[in-house]
Amino acid sequence: MNVKELKDMISLMNENGLVELEIEKEGLRIKIKKGVSGASEVFQERYIAQPSAASADVLPKEANTKISKYIEVKAPMVGTFYRSLAPDAPSFVEIGHDIEPGQVLCIIEAMKLMNEIKSEVKGKIVEILAENAQPIEFGQALFLVEPLE
Amino acid sequence: MFSKILIANRGEIALRIIRACRELGIKSVAVYSEADKSSLHVKLADEAVCIGAASPQSSYLNIPSIISAAEITDVEAIHPGYGFLSENAHFVEVCESCQIKFIGPPPEAMRLMGDKMAAKDTMRKVGLPVIPGSSSVVKDKDEALKIAHKLQYPVIVKAAAGGGGRGMRVAHNDVRLISVLMTCQAEAEAAFGNPNVYIEKYIGNPKHVEFQIVADKYGHVIHLGERDCTIQRRHQKLLEESPSPAIDSKLRRKMGEAAIKGAKAANYSNVGTIEFLLDEDGNFYFMEMNTRIQVEHPVTEMVTGIDLIKEQIKIAAGERLSFNQEDIKINGSAIECRINAEDPDNGFMPCPGKVVFFHAPGGPGVRVDSHVYQGYEISPYYDSMIAKLITYGKNRAEAIQVMQRALSEFVIEPIKTTIEFHKRLISNPEFLRGQVTTEFIEKTLGGGSSQNESR
Repeated sequence: MNVKELKDMISLMNENGLVELEIEKEGLRIKIKKGVSGASEVFQERYIAQPSAASADVLPKEANTKISKYIEVKAPMVGTFYRSLAPDAPSFVEIGHDIEPGQVLCIIEAMKLMNEIKSEVKGKIVEILAENAQPIEFGQALFLVEPLE
Repeated sequence: MFSKILIANRGEIALRIIRACRELGIKSVAVYSEADKSSLHVKLADEAVCIGAASPQSSYLNIPSIISAAEITDVEAIHPGYGFLSENAHFVEVCESCQIKFIGPPPEAMRLMGDKMAAKDTMRKVGLPVIPGSSSVVKDKDEALKIAHKLQYPVIVKAAAGGGGRGMRVAHNDVRLISVLMTCQAEAEAAFGNPNVYIEKYIGNPKHVEFQIVADKYGHVIHLGERDCTIQRRHQKLLEESPSPAIDSKLRRKMGEAAIKGAKAANYSNVGTIEFLLDEDGNFYFMEMNTRIQVEHPVTEMVTGIDLIKEQIKIAAGERLSFNQEDIKINGSAIECRINAEDPDNGFMPCPGKVVFFHAPGGPGVRVDSHVYQGYEISPYYDSMIAKLITYGKNRAEAIQVMQRALSEFVIEPIKTTIEFHKRLISNPEFLRGQVTTEFIEKTLGGGSSQNESR
């Protein structure tokens, strides 16, 4: 587990508004807790002596680099996010689906035009970060994807 | 009246519009580029939508993105501010086709006044004095030389699609004229997408006096007096004041009537400004019309008591003007200094960076319009104006006194700003006598720069 991977996890937490994140996979358990108020930060500092923004409690066995390599699929435009072509049609992708470069992941409707948003990588959908018919802005994270070779 | 408005702009003007919306009980939607995430207009609006990357093309000039943001936030109107899309007739038409009201003039008036030659022609036809010049686009150097000899040097070459002081250069002789002609054509193509240029007589030692127009959609057109914007550097305004020290009430009435006639000739509605040049003999000439709210609108607000942004919103919502020409009185005197993040000792080079310490002046007669706050990072992507310092007094001498005091209180550190430069300007004897002309900055305060000389 290197500093960059820790930083990636922390930014993942911040982007999703998480206060505590605990991941256990293949012999490695990582717990990150964010100090949300002055009081708890002081507590963290006194008893755990960690940086005030987050404390990392790490039990390394072997570095598992897969966990923090998720990439975000971000909206390239402003509009309304749709998971399928029509209300009764099946969603383009679900959690756990494998995706290929060029595969349509969703639709963003902008100015009465339906724009297909395509994947740029080969991978697996880990999480869907926007809801159907939700208004989304430029750069907003829509999917969490685990890239595969 | 609208219940929600989207502000298609950034910086201090976005803040200004949000403030007017708040007071009118209208919800505001801010749009921002990724570079403007921490901007004050984003923090203070009721809603905010990120519309693109840092570059203006990707964000503040991105029509589909802005319209899309307007649709998902369900706004009824868009206020374009100044610059960016504020004088883009196509944008107005896109808004209209999406049933969104554009807070500004009709697109036809915008197009007509945006074509600087057509605008001049329109004004000339209704009897406004215009600067002598070529009656059509100048195509080649032979035509240019012929026109220049007829007008007599010095002449100025201007971009037909230009304006705002951009795309214009002076020539004092044949050799210079030919090089200036080619440079202007190239610059015009690059900046405005239109290489057409025209030539005018260059009026030496002029004063720049502009009249504020307010017009509703029912044909009522009123002027709110003048602003003297003579103090400029490379055609960019640095300081503005109202009333003009060069205008008496007789000339004000005459120029005001001309401004109203001009606005009516353009079938204008909403707010706009007619710019005149005033020569040494007190003759005035129509120069151009700006079909938007202007940066320096606060000085007019201070001396007339009219809130121009609120008027814009009310007019767009279909209201009639609530005042007549007789109701407009110019009280006292107001001055505005544009504080830029530039180094005046280094050719006014832009100085973006973090503002570690920010303290704005206060007290009676002081107004600060600024989007900057302590800890704010001024980015390099947009223009360098970071604050407008406006002072008011019961007469010009008092307004100047207040400005001197206010400038001495204003702290913006550690970036370089033009505060010290304005302090020197406001104490300059020629300025104090009200005798400056547009060459003032270059001639007296050394406003030149080696970096920009090659333009």
